[in-house]
Amino acid sequence: MKNRILLCVAFLLSGWVALAQETFPRNDVKDNRAGLYAFTNATLVVDPQTTLQNATLLIKGNRIEQVGANLAVPKGYVITDLKGKYIYPSLIDMFTSYGLPDVERVRGRGFGGSEQMESATKGAYNANQAIRSQYNAADEFTLHAKTADELRKLGFGAVLTSKADGLARGTSAFVSLSEKNDNTALIKQKVAANYSLEKGTSTQTYPTSMMGFIALLRQTYMDAEWFGSQSPRPFSDNSLEAWIQNQRLPQVFAATNWMNVLRADKLGDEFGIQYIIKGDGDEYKRIAEIKATKASLIIPVNFPDAYDVEDPFDAEKVSLADMKHWELAPTNLATIEKNGIQFAITTSGLKKTVDFLPNLRKAIENGLTETAALKALTTTPAQLLKVDDQVGSLKKGLLANFIITSGKLFDEKTIIHQNWVQGEPYSIKPLDTRDFSGQYNLSVNGQTYNLEVTGEAGSHKTKIKVNDSTSLDVNSTFGNDLITISFKPHKQPGSIRLSGWSETTGWKGKGQLADGTWITWTGTRTGDVQAKDSKKPADNDKKEELGKVIYPFTGHGYPALPATETLLIKNATVWTNESDGILKDTDVLLKDGKISKIGKNLSEASAKIVDGTGKHLTAGIIDEHSHIGVSSINDVAANSGMVRIGDNIDAESINVYRALAGGVVAVQALHGSANPIGGQSALIKLRWGESPENYKIQGADGFIKFALGENVKRSSNPSSIRYPQSRMGVEQVYVDAFTNAREYEKKWSAYNGLSSKEKPLALKPRRDLVDETMLEILNKKRFISCHSYVQSEINMLMKVAERFNFRVNTFTHILEGYKVADKMAEHGVAASTFADWWNYKWEVRYAIPYNAAIMHRAGVVTAINSDDAEMGRRLNQEAAKSVKYAGMSEEDAWKMVTLNPAKMLHLDNQMGSIKAGKSADVVLWNDHPLSVYAKPLKTIIDGKVYFDVEKDEQNNKALESERARIIQKMKNVKKSGMPTQRGDGRSQLQFHCDDVLGYETVLD
Amino acid sequence: MKKLIFVLFVALSIVHLAWAQKPVPAKPQSKPIALTGGVAHIGNGQVILNSLITFDKGKLTAVADATVVKVDLSGYEIINIAGKHVYPGFILPSSQVGLQEVSSIRAMSDNSEAGEMNPNVRAVISYNADSEYPPSYRFNGVLLAESTPTGGTISGSSSLMEMEGWNWEDALHSADIAIHMNWPPIARRQFDFNTFSFSESPNKDYEKQVATLENFFTDASAYGKVSSKEINLKLEAVQGLFDGKKTLMIHANNPKEIIESVRSAQRAGIKRIAIVGGLGSLLVADFLKEKKIPVILPATHSLPARTDDDIDLPYKLPYLLTQAGVVVSIYDEGSLHGARNLPFYAGTAVAYGVDKEDALKMITSNTAKALGVDNRVGTLEVGKDATLFVSAGDALDYRTNILSHAFISGKLITLPGNQQELYERYSKKYGQMK
Repeated sequence: MKNRILLCVAFLLSGWVALAQETFPRNDVKDNRAGLYAFTNATLVVDPQTTLQNATLLIKGNRIEQVGANLAVPKGYVITDLKGKYIYPSLIDMFTSYGLPDVERVRGRGFGGSEQMESATKGAYNANQAIRSQYNAADEFTLHAKTADELRKLGFGAVLTSKADGLARGTSAFVSLSEKNDNTALIKQKVAANYSLEKGTSTQTYPTSMMGFIALLRQTYMDAEWFGSQSPRPFSDNSLEAWIQNQRLPQVFAATNWMNVLRADKLGDEFGIQYIIKGDGDEYKRIAEIKATKASLIIPVNFPDAYDVEDPFDAEKVSLADMKHWELAPTNLATIEKNGIQFAITTSGLKKTVDFLPNLRKAIENGLTETAALKALTTTPAQLLKVDDQVGSLKKGLLANFIITSGKLFDEKTIIHQNWVQGEPYSIKPLDTRDFSGQYNLSVNGQTYNLEVTGEAGSHKTKIKVNDSTSLDVNSTFGNDLITISFKPHKQPGSIRLSGWSETTGWKGKGQLADGTWITWTGTRTGDVQAKDSKKPADNDKKEELGKVIYPFTGHGYPALPATETLLIKNATVWTNESDGILKDTDVLLKDGKISKIGKNLSEASAKIVDGTGKHLTAGIIDEHSHIGVSSINDVAANSGMVRIGDNIDAESINVYRALAGGVVAVQALHGSANPIGGQSALIKLRWGESPENYKIQGADGFIKFALGENVKRSSNPSSIRYPQSRMGVEQVYVDAFTNAREYEKKWSAYNGLSSKEKPLALKPRRDLVDETMLEILNKKRFISCHSYVQSEINMLMKVAERFNFRVNTFTHILEGYKVADKMAEHGVAASTFADWWNYKWEVRYAIPYNAAIMHRAGVVTAINSDDAEMGRRLNQEAAKSVKYAGMSEEDAWKMVTLNPAKMLHLDNQMGSIKAGKSADVVLWNDHPLSVYAKPLKTIIDGKVYFDVEKDEQNNKALESERARIIQKMKNVKKSGMPTQRGDGRSQLQFHCDDVLGYETVLD
Repeated sequence: MKKLIFVLFVALSIVHLAWAQKPVPAKPQSKPIALTGGVAHIGNGQVILNSLITFDKGKLTAVADATVVKVDLSGYEIINIAGKHVYPGFILPSSQVGLQEVSSIRAMSDNSEAGEMNPNVRAVISYNADSEYPPSYRFNGVLLAESTPTGGTISGSSSLMEMEGWNWEDALHSADIAIHMNWPPIARRQFDFNTFSFSESPNKDYEKQVATLENFFTDASAYGKVSSKEINLKLEAVQGLFDGKKTLMIHANNPKEIIESVRSAQRAGIKRIAIVGGLGSLLVADFLKEKKIPVILPATHSLPARTDDDIDLPYKLPYLLTQAGVVVSIYDEGSLHGARNLPFYAGTAVAYGVDKEDALKMITSNTAKALGVDNRVGTLEVGKDATLFVSAGDALDYRTNILSHAFISGKLITLPGNQQELYERYSKKYGQMK
């Protein structure tokens, strides 16, 4: 006992060090000590699987010397008897920025102001400022006593630290929480290579979108391969050199939500890399897809506070998704564990570090096993970082990093007494804190007060009972030997202040009355405190109802995905879009996801009958130009052909459901119009509730966005310096891109034509994602949808294409198409236009609502598109405008939002008309589909009913009752005094390609 | 195809053709005109299936059931509109028509003045009678529009304009009918680049901003009661609010803002108030009904504000508010070019529950009442302006909103504009039209 106290005092007061570093200068006489300690009779958790009872731990210097149940303690060891106590390996957090300088957050610069085309990093580093692979955390690390103290109090002994800056963040270092000096704390440098999908402090304009971030990392992998294959190098690039070196390390990728976990993993798959991925705690929303990544995860316990929902008007600002996440976030770790995914746990993302253990306990209450929790904080991170020969368990030869606790680590009542880091003790709560709880007679100045001491040792609470209903507040401080008490006696002015020391029967001491008189006092223990009826909340209270995960995880998500049905729609007016035209009183059978039969009096035993009497059945609407269902749409390189919309499908975008409800079954999710050559499109079906990958139409041709005119020459930004600034320059961007692509092709065919002997000796050309995309266009493997307005530029692009021997697939918007419709027909390009938008900028001054009709009549395959989430959900009405303005036939008008866009997207062999064998992508309307009064009753994709007007109504009610249920729960949380947060009325940005990035409008 | 071209030809030739860049404004009505046999939609909920409508010197002289009432039509120009529908001219409130042309070009915008308190700036004198928008509006039946300043806290004074005229004096229907005010927002939106989404935080200056507004109106009210004083243009400009001559148009969406703004205006003694925007008005519908405050909703062709909202909420809102007893009309908060779809915004409200004639009120009489011009426009009633049009069918639906005649104050106006001229020019180029 005495030894222990001595030890703590000695360490904390003298700053004594076990083993001074030999190379360091000395300013005293030599004071090296052996550092031999023995801990006996402990419950010793060697690792999460192995616990030894009555065991002994011997340490020597900064290492563990022996661990065992029946060890004899050699002479010379300081022995600490830990009867009743536990020893655990100290915890490891593998996702921190401990000891590194703060990263200054750069506010989104948007696309206003002058573009920064080149990296601002000085030195021979990468061409892109966001590639910071040359960075090494070990170079900047310096211990930070306050943070180390905070983390040690939670039981941590060592952490991985990396600087959260850049897409490639360089290497991280493994450091202990020692306060001795940096040389001790830095255990290992270059432990892992870190990456993210956040640009960080880079001021370079490119990349600016999620898909740009992915594209840049993808290109850098290719650049590194090419660079590394050359000796001597073609030039110096310290970032690429480091990148190449870093590949042998564990690769840690920081993702900010479940979708980014999938995106990161997919990127890794392309290069045969399995990242260890740091998630954001929402993996339960899509656990099957997360599991399928096979990635090990690093998971935070940053559970959100409940929302303040007291005011029903204000509560409207909190979304169902946020409410449900509040409720389900604590179940995330249990879900991950149940799915057999390897994971580590991090403190990252916590607003207050002290919430770590309470939150972890919440996760355990919600099903995370204690063994898994311990594993996730010890052996798993140690193994993932390949430092399990140093830390993570209590084995001979490992660093003496361990904690001494009063009980099982994750029990609420457990106290962490000491945290030993590299053989040095850090006391948190003294091991032998005395328990003073009990009833006392406090005799002060002839008066006797009934003092009650409750609570745990080390955190006692005191009060004086006057009678059954009244008690006095008492301030008290208990040391092992000394005690201070003060209180204000009932109905008397001023306080009595006492100071004293403990005796076997209680306390004795001196004190001062309110008037300053010194008195003597005693406190005599008279018995235990009567245990209150501290019934733990009954079990049925504990097992509170939890909501279910919905797909997607947002308002209007489904509890389960729709299944393929066999549906027989009877007696409908069927708009076939085929030579049969519009058929009255006709039946259509949908089976196995296909349109099976069309005719009169059809029957099918297994089919569910849908009465189509008085209703119209049409092919589903296809929107050639849309920006729904994606996380970002615009990058900023003049040629952004390397970015892919398909890299950032957003499976939780409410606009997808809204479009479905408007009869839309598929859209081309296009890149924006900030650049002459934009990114690659994704053709998606609106499979609401499915995973991002399942949105994509498998086997569809590749498309790419081009753009002309005001947006690409940055007309709305007077300080833009980016080439091109005029329509003349726009043409040159194209000619340049296609010329380069031909050169690129030559280079590769020369290389590929080499014999197997010659190849290894030759330099393999660098893969360039821009050139490859341009080449796909030239080789008719990828097709252009070009944003266009005025006739000069339309004509120009057709001439450029003809010069390079290919055809433009589609002009989209094409508001002056009516002026060159004959040329378009001759070129063979399709047109996808607005019905009646005009005059919102100069280049659309002469747009007319007759445009579609004129082009159609000139023999151009013509569609009406939306480019807008609002208009995109009533394209049937937009089609009707050509009937109104130009007297177009109703059938032709209808084809402009179904069959014709299917043709321009090369999907007409499977979509766009009601024909046996085509995909069952149909809509049942309550009225003539070109009427303003028409509403879709059902929208069916692949024979699955993804929207049903009745189900929608039920779902709305379910949504409201789910909100109401969680609101009641949140109200109780607020009542219990827990912190709450204000609803922030978060809403997604509505993408619109003319907004160019959405940034400018937003930054104004 | 032949039939199509014929239809096209008829559609274009039926009306007075004037192939100039812009149609030439019509001369005042010279003789009485009678429209016979059409289905008349009065604009107050009534329908006359076989109607007789006469007007002279720009005013309606008879609106009657032709099967009951006989009028001697000698000396009248008689237009038989049997099988067609006749409507009061639609009214577009809270529009920047004439003040802004191409929104992306600063030089073409005159809709917003510097500073916060601008009740004294007047839309009418800045109204560009040669704007491209009026021809496109009236082509679909929108014959009147409120030209309205924007920006600041008090944006300025609006005027009701006819969608025809040589100059602003010629096009003016009623000058300075309303003061537009943007109620300070309780919460401010900002963009978060991390999540690429908007979020709200409380507006710390809210109370201060509200107090400034309240002071302004109490000062203005007091100012109005003194006869000899130093002239204050700003206070002078709002005088019509206290005797009910002008409407205070309060732009507000949040339910709490709606209550506070209306309460505040009423405390100041302002007689006629309307809410513009009013997305949150369903939550305070009882309040609005009780205080008789009409709501001018944005286009039904909008997205719900919140993810969790009923996806059809913007479509249903006119119905839900009407059911709750609130008087509704519709404007277009979005774009000048889109406002020609005003009839279809009302049509969409019909698809989601509103009776057709009630939906018509939302773009005619309800709007006229909110603007205090219902003594002259908004319905087809004797004594009111002969501002009306004839459509091939239901004017709230796309395929039947095809106008053959439109009259503004009795003048038969030219419907085709620049867009129709371009249509003809290029249809001819490709031999699509003879």
